[in-house]
Amino acid sequence: MAIVGSRRPSPYGEAVAEQLAADLARAKVIVVSGLALGIDAAAHRGALNGGGVTVAVMGTGVDIVYPAAHSRLAEEILSAGGALVSQFPDGTVPRRQNFPARNWTMAAISDVVVVVEAGEGSGALITAEAALHLHKEVMAVPGSVFSALSVGTHGLLRDGAGLVQNARDVIAVLGLGGEVLDDPLQAPERLGFALQPERDGIVAHLSDVLAMSAADIARKLQLPVSEVLGRLTALELDGAVRRHEAGYIRALRRGKERA
Amino acid sequence: MQADDGRGEAAFVLVGLAATAVKEARERVRSAIRNSMLEFPHRRLTVNLAPAELRKQSSGLDLPIAVAVALSVMRRAAQPRSAFLGELALDGTVGHVDGVLVAVGWLRRQGYERVFVPAVDAAEAALVDGLEVIPCATLAGVVAHIIGAVAIAPQPPTAPMFEGEAAAFEHDLAEVHGQEEARRALEVAAAGGHHLLLSGPPGAGKTMLARCLPGILPPLDLEEALEVAQIRSLLGDLPAGRPLEWTRPFRAPHHGVSMAGLIGGGAGLAQPGEISRAHHGVLFLDELAEFQANVLQALRQPLEIGRVAITRSGGSVTYPARFTLVAATNPCPCGWAGDGRRSCRCTPAMIDAYQRRLSGPLLDRIDLKVGVRRVPLDALASEPVGESSAPVRERVLSARRRQMERQGCLNAQLKPLRLRQLASLDTASRHTLERWAEQRGLTARGFHRAWRVARTSADLEGTDTIAERHILEALGYRLHDVAA
Repeated sequence: MAIVGSRRPSPYGEAVAEQLAADLARAKVIVVSGLALGIDAAAHRGALNGGGVTVAVMGTGVDIVYPAAHSRLAEEILSAGGALVSQFPDGTVPRRQNFPARNWTMAAISDVVVVVEAGEGSGALITAEAALHLHKEVMAVPGSVFSALSVGTHGLLRDGAGLVQNARDVIAVLGLGGEVLDDPLQAPERLGFALQPERDGIVAHLSDVLAMSAADIARKLQLPVSEVLGRLTALELDGAVRRHEAGYIRALRRGKERA
Repeated sequence: MQADDGRGEAAFVLVGLAATAVKEARERVRSAIRNSMLEFPHRRLTVNLAPAELRKQSSGLDLPIAVAVALSVMRRAAQPRSAFLGELALDGTVGHVDGVLVAVGWLRRQGYERVFVPAVDAAEAALVDGLEVIPCATLAGVVAHIIGAVAIAPQPPTAPMFEGEAAAFEHDLAEVHGQEEARRALEVAAAGGHHLLLSGPPGAGKTMLARCLPGILPPLDLEEALEVAQIRSLLGDLPAGRPLEWTRPFRAPHHGVSMAGLIGGGAGLAQPGEISRAHHGVLFLDELAEFQANVLQALRQPLEIGRVAITRSGGSVTYPARFTLVAATNPCPCGWAGDGRRSCRCTPAMIDAYQRRLSGPLLDRIDLKVGVRRVPLDALASEPVGESSAPVRERVLSARRRQMERQGCLNAQLKPLRLRQLASLDTASRHTLERWAEQRGLTARGFHRAWRVARTSADLEGTDTIAERHILEALGYRLHDVAA
């Protein structure tokens, strides 16, 4: 099955993609994605963490890794017994027009396509459309109604795509029997992305889905913006908070390993 | 200037490397003299413009030439240590010349005691004290004064009228809704003399914020006001009645500006550019990415040393150019990354390439970088109204006073060595910087940048020592996740 989504996801989207892929990999499902930034990379990593096999469908020749930052990831995919596949001849450089074609290929080799986070006009929606044309299952992960990154996924859900809350939803559609996975009610802790108690309470006012500016927080808490800026920087150093475009977003960090 | 009428065919010869504009003086001088009921020599007239090897360019030499000629016929001389400057109309009226203020200042330093300038420029000339300024309306009047027939009253010294209450600035911070982070960055920039980069989508209010900066800076002092007046004088930009202005200049050249337009230049002797027009004020570069790269490169030196040297065929000239730079940019090529309502269509690769284009030596000299978000019209009503410029200016003034007392210059100008001497970091601050360097990498420039801004943050607070919170705030002034 394929996991696709935004190249600039929120930490929430990344966490979902990674954990979903890990759980599916453990259930011996092959995870397909596009080796792109964001959701794709999270899906490949999750599958590798889950000890499974993952396939990267490329928009370049197989001899070129795009983006270059994912060279290491590509190697790991191969060492773990996965594959890099491409419909383009060796030496093909990444061109805008290659990617829709690649997306069709991803849909073609998968039984199910899951879109994790997608803004309006996202390439992931092309993959979903291709899946529909090829009579494959399309599913989507819901997000915050305030987030631009969920406009695409909610659109798919509205049009009848299956809802994904955890790997079990995907496995059910794939028609696989076997191991019963997470009960959705327990999912947050078992996901391993427990929200850590942080040293500065200000972090509770940040979202892991929507970026907020220092000004937003200063206004909300009635604090001078210079102080808020400083405290947010300290939280960045701790890894509790990340810069996301024009604002700050709460990072999701791993808790203890699952039993 | 020497005139000699002697034997030979009737001719009016100007010697001394006179440019065409000056050669045309012959016609103006001849007409002016005749129309002033003065006698023009019938014989060969030679006027020498010394020193011979210096190229003469100004039309302001009309008056001295005419006076020399007229006096030579009368076999009279002007008083010693007198200088003459002015253009002549054909009817003998003395007209405006650019740069009188600068010329008179220099003449006084050379020891001249008296200067004859066009009446319309007399107020400007009288800003310089230490010599007598004679306003000249007509050539006839000047000659009459010199020969003692009818005296012209000297121009009284121009009192620099200080407007006690700062004039209402065009742009007050009270007009800016929300934008607390950008307002704070503006205050820090003003307090420490730091340069500032505003990043945000179109319509976010970057221009408006930039225009508020002169209003929170201290008014010019007398010396600064005179420097600004000198530059405007050279450009012919000085209003006749009010030569001195107390508000800081705000210059916003379009991104298509040429090298000569921005830095200074032009044919002959270089004219001051926008950076000099912005001296002691603010230079605002909107849409930084659209400026020609070579033009931006040329900003590095003036940003570093506060002046610019330009060499042209007419000679080499140094103009002052100490300004605060405010640059504005979009966050990405389409401009909408991070906007709440419009979605950005740029790929991460495009954004990366765009930001890399902006980076480099120029951005290295900008200590503060901050994001500005667009507030949609319907939300404007609920955005809080912030402080007006007045209280912000007060804080900026106090902070600046502290800096001048401590080190004689603003924090933005502190070199690493002086930073170490004047602004020691406590252990917690040092530790924070080390952690930052470890996690994200920190260049030496980035390190000192954060240090300077932290020093200003502490000055705004009124504390002598720099604490961790100041360093943390300083590190926050960056765009995206790049090395500070």
